[in-house]
Amino acid sequence: MTLLMLLFWLIAGGTLQMLVPAWRHMGQPAFPFLLGVVLYAAVNKKARYFVLTALLAGVLEDSLSLAPLGYSACAFLFAGGIALLLRRDFFADKARIVMVFGAAGSATATGVMALLLRMNGLVDLSRGDIGRRMAGAGILGAVLMPILFGLMRGLERRLGLGEDS
Amino acid sequence: MKDRRWIALCTIALIVLAMMNLPDSASRRVKGAVRDGISPLQAALRGGVRELREILRYIRGIGDLALENRALSEEIVYLRGEMRMARELERDNQMLRDLLGFVKRSPHRLISCEVIGRDSTGWWQTVRLDRGAASGVAEGRAVITPAGLIGRTVAVSSHTADVLLLSDPACRVSVRLARSGVFGVVAGLGAKPGEQPACRMDYISRAADVQEGDEVVTAGMGGLFPKGLLVGQVRRVVPHEEGLYQTAWIDSAARLGELEYAFVTATMDDLAGARIMAPDIPPGDESGSREGEEP
Repeated sequence: MTLLMLLFWLIAGGTLQMLVPAWRHMGQPAFPFLLGVVLYAAVNKKARYFVLTALLAGVLEDSLSLAPLGYSACAFLFAGGIALLLRRDFFADKARIVMVFGAAGSATATGVMALLLRMNGLVDLSRGDIGRRMAGAGILGAVLMPILFGLMRGLERRLGLGEDS
Repeated sequence: MKDRRWIALCTIALIVLAMMNLPDSASRRVKGAVRDGISPLQAALRGGVRELREILRYIRGIGDLALENRALSEEIVYLRGEMRMARELERDNQMLRDLLGFVKRSPHRLISCEVIGRDSTGWWQTVRLDRGAASGVAEGRAVITPAGLIGRTVAVSSHTADVLLLSDPACRVSVRLARSGVFGVVAGLGAKPGEQPACRMDYISRAADVQEGDEVVTAGMGGLFPKGLLVGQVRRVVPHEEGLYQTAWIDSAARLGELEYAFVTATMDDLAGARIMAPDIPPGDESGSREGEEP
């Protein structure tokens, strides 16, 4: 059931990702819908669900763009992996903490992605551009994650799905 | 317990490494399959957004009329609705006539496509078209509108194609000025489509005659872009204090932020390949292509 739920959110996240254009300011970061699903799985679900979600979300995100296969999965696994390691000590289901996790996760995933793309000469970005974009992604992550987490948790409660982290 | 964790970590790392190092053909096949799978949804969503925009425009019209005269609002709304529909039909009619005329005038074989999406990651300036290899679209082909060049195809699946727009820094086009014949290279500025200027022209000789408003057309060198396609107009010329060159800021001729339709240039081989992939398409049936004509 957990897997079906995550698949549903991945499809929903991918759809929203296609529909909502990147933010015009702060280096044009994308709204991190798919990353939101990955982070949710990282802090609320078993590790194997998180890994599977990150891999699937990565394939979906790379297929929506010109990025080579595997780049987004790498970024998602890195950002989500840190969240997974920190969740026992720091994570609590409070909006403020979700905001911090969202901002940090989004900025980290953007940084890893930028690094991979730049290392392979796929984008021509200066350090300033990358920094600006990471900051922009952080802001979007902070705004979006509490909403996404709330929606996902709300649906799980309605369906009677418990915690399985 | 620790061993199991290490094994899991190594397995994940191996999977990611394998994904990143997949052979190009396998990677394209996977991405193409996902793209083809989601393209109907993407097209439907784009259609839905367009409809929604129309409805909102219509509702706004109703609100204005109600303020003017409540008693006559129904009639006015009805008439306005009729007029709006007539105007839309007229606009569509005119656009289709223009497109048809453009296809007939164009010396290239063209495949007409609808724009179904934009790059949502923000790393590139791209749009997605609803036609792919099955319709004769190949990678590295020029993509144009009646207004001018918009970019080139970079990733083609069976039923979709991604176009790298002129505004992307990775899109470089060899060009010349139509008036003076001066050569240069146009590269995107990375600006979001809609924010002008979209690109700049580099490597213009310092002594060359460049004026604001000069038309920039493709030079046809390198074989990627056909010769003589309109790229844009010079907005501003910036001479370098030192060095051999000057730079010109270019307004793209096509409105890159408002693309609905586009044409992909195709060779006879591309179209022949498409017929092999989809044998049920009769020759000359690819909309927009000029199958019947001699090269």
